[in-house]
Amino acid sequence: MRKRLCGIGVICLLAGMATTAPAAMAGPAERYLHVKVEDATKGESVNVNVPLSMAEKILPTIHKDNIRNGHVTIGHADMDDVDIRALLDAVRTAPDNEFVTVKEKDQDVRVAKSNGNLVVHVRDGNKGGQKVDITVPMKVVDALLSTAKDNELDISAAIRALSEAGDAVLVTVEDASEHVRIWVDSKGSQE
Amino acid sequence: MILFGKIALGLVGTAVAGAGILCSEGMVEVKVVQRQPEVHHVHVIAPAMLAPIAMHFAPRKNVSQAAAEIQPWMPTIRAALEQLRESDDVTLVEVKEPGEHVRVAKQGGSIVVDVEDHDDTVHVSTPIRAISSTIEQLAATAPST
Repeated sequence: MRKRLCGIGVICLLAGMATTAPAAMAGPAERYLHVKVEDATKGESVNVNVPLSMAEKILPTIHKDNIRNGHVTIGHADMDDVDIRALLDAVRTAPDNEFVTVKEKDQDVRVAKSNGNLVVHVRDGNKGGQKVDITVPMKVVDALLSTAKDNELDISAAIRALSEAGDAVLVTVEDASEHVRIWVDSKGSQE
Repeated sequence: MILFGKIALGLVGTAVAGAGILCSEGMVEVKVVQRQPEVHHVHVIAPAMLAPIAMHFAPRKNVSQAAAEIQPWMPTIRAALEQLRESDDVTLVEVKEPGEHVRVAKQGGSIVVDVEDHDDTVHVSTPIRAISSTIEQLAATAPST
């Protein structure tokens, strides 16, 4: 009787292991970059869902214009001689703070580093004006700057960092009729 | 009698094996419903393997330009298709307008395109493996540089 109970116990244990093992052994869940553009007045909407693993694998294969091997080259002329790399590096190493605050009659701009994110808010005070919110995890900024060359940003590494970061809303742009949202999560759909 | 039996068995075996090979890359499904001016239904299911085979026999002069243009993008296309094959089912692109709906999705091992507007409904489902072999076949016809 005891042996039989032991046998049943072992079978139950093995069955339990068999059912839980695939879940434990499965790799990390796929992460998706979602883009949603809605125009309420025209009743139009565009949804794009890109598996981040796919973007990560595709980028290094693109060699066109200023994109090479997953790196994008930024010419100083393109940025009005602003050294974008030095700028991002300065933000990366700075403590949490408000870097830029511009308040005008009809526009507010705020650039800050907060809770490990680079945050940009733009508010257009005019009627139906745009509201822009951009949140970029600093890990992504770190990854962008992980290349050896000064005039390059590592987009592949940034996507890798994005897929390792938690669910996040990266960009929202709203005006009177249009609404744009870019975010990352583990859901394959936008429902 | 036994000889006839063996021949029949051979023929049936060959037919089954042929059908198996032909269907090995899955099936392409095209469904079109035209609502205006008259209602027409078209529903075609064909072995996906026919596409790369057809590419093999396509006149080179007609496909050489497309082949040359696609050649530099082959590593990107290969990477994209490989990742698509491995990824979970996902709606890649969805566009909605009043009276129109377009959806491109990965479903099972296929890329599915659904288009619906006032006049027509179109559904095309193509196995990713077949897309891959057809594009490889097309790229192979590019004139060597």
